[in-house]
Amino acid sequence: MDEKTSEVNQSRQFHEVTLREFELTDVDDYFVWASDDRVSPWWRWDTFTLKEDVLAFMEKTVLPHPWMRAICLNGRPVGAIWVTHRTAEHQCCAELGYVIASQYWGRGIATEAVNLVLGTIFGDMEGLERLEALVLVQNVGSQKVLEKAGFTKEGTLKKYLIHKGKISDMVMYSFIPADN
Amino acid sequence: MDEKTSEINQSRQFHEVTLREFELTDVDDYFVWASDDRVSPWWRWDTFTNKEDVLAFMEKTVLPHPWMRAICLDGRPVGAISVTRRTAEHQCRAELGYVIASQYWGRGIATEAVNLVLGTIFGDMEGLERLEALVLVQNVRSQKVLEKAGFTKEGILKKYLIHKGKISDMTSSGIVFFCDLIYYYLDRLFEGIHELMPNDEVFFNSKLRQLDAQ
Repeated sequence: MDEKTSEVNQSRQFHEVTLREFELTDVDDYFVWASDDRVSPWWRWDTFTLKEDVLAFMEKTVLPHPWMRAICLNGRPVGAIWVTHRTAEHQCCAELGYVIASQYWGRGIATEAVNLVLGTIFGDMEGLERLEALVLVQNVGSQKVLEKAGFTKEGTLKKYLIHKGKISDMVMYSFIPADN
Repeated sequence: MDEKTSEINQSRQFHEVTLREFELTDVDDYFVWASDDRVSPWWRWDTFTNKEDVLAFMEKTVLPHPWMRAICLDGRPVGAISVTRRTAEHQCRAELGYVIASQYWGRGIATEAVNLVLGTIFGDMEGLERLEALVLVQNVRSQKVLEKAGFTKEGILKKYLIHKGKISDMTSSGIVFFCDLIYYYLDRLFEGIHELMPNDEVFFNSKLRQLDAQ
């Protein structure tokens, strides 16, 4: 094996991001970010304290979700990514969400996961023309992920929803394949 | 009566916009804009062709609506305006919609109706912080109404929804229209108000009580 292949193998060994469906046996990994106080401010749920609660959450919300994937780093779940297809006159639209364990922030993992989704979701979801993401104004890290993945910032929607009891401004991003 | 009062009376006589709840007996007036081909491209329903359908529509959709008003010109309905509250984590916001019979376009009636709503809705709807409106990119008139009423254009949401989408059967190609929409919002927080309208006192006082309680 020449030097270059060896380097490539090393980088692939330390940084291969893949997506797969969750199983209940992933509960230990899921618990890592679900119980992390650095993560919970950025998504809708409060910090989990018990694995039983995470298991129940996986049974009730994660596994039944129509399009939810574990973000795996070298085969091990370090986060989750999901796409929620909207209905009726909004069925041309779906909303993207993702979460990464804080130990893995800043390594481009979310961006890779988003790119993997972009490569597959428009084929998977019939009639999908728009993938959108709503990000808290303060969540600059997530805004950068979306911008790197090619999303367009459409505007800031003020006082758009109640997040952790506070009325929050959200930034709307979209990815339109026809424009890209 | 001096000249000025007479002029004011004349202008008031020809242009008094009020809001009230609908009744089924408004069906004839409702039919005017519901059956108008100039109106239907701009809202979600197809042009109505008979009054029975409009009556059914009023029974099913108009009268049960939690916040829907007839826009009256000198007491007669010439359009409708509604505010639809969102739920759960979105309950701080509500969506505004309105329609005016085409014979009355261009007279500022929609703008007045929107202003009447603004004067009352934040008091009516506990916890409302954001009134938003989604407008088709091509609907320049409606954008002007909102801008005049003080709404802020937040951005254009591309391919946001299917408007008058027609997915036909297998014999011909389907045509689905994807629309770009402009998102407007109006934020009526205490700090944002520069001018008090008469009905705002109720809203103001309740806001002050909220702030005191914090």
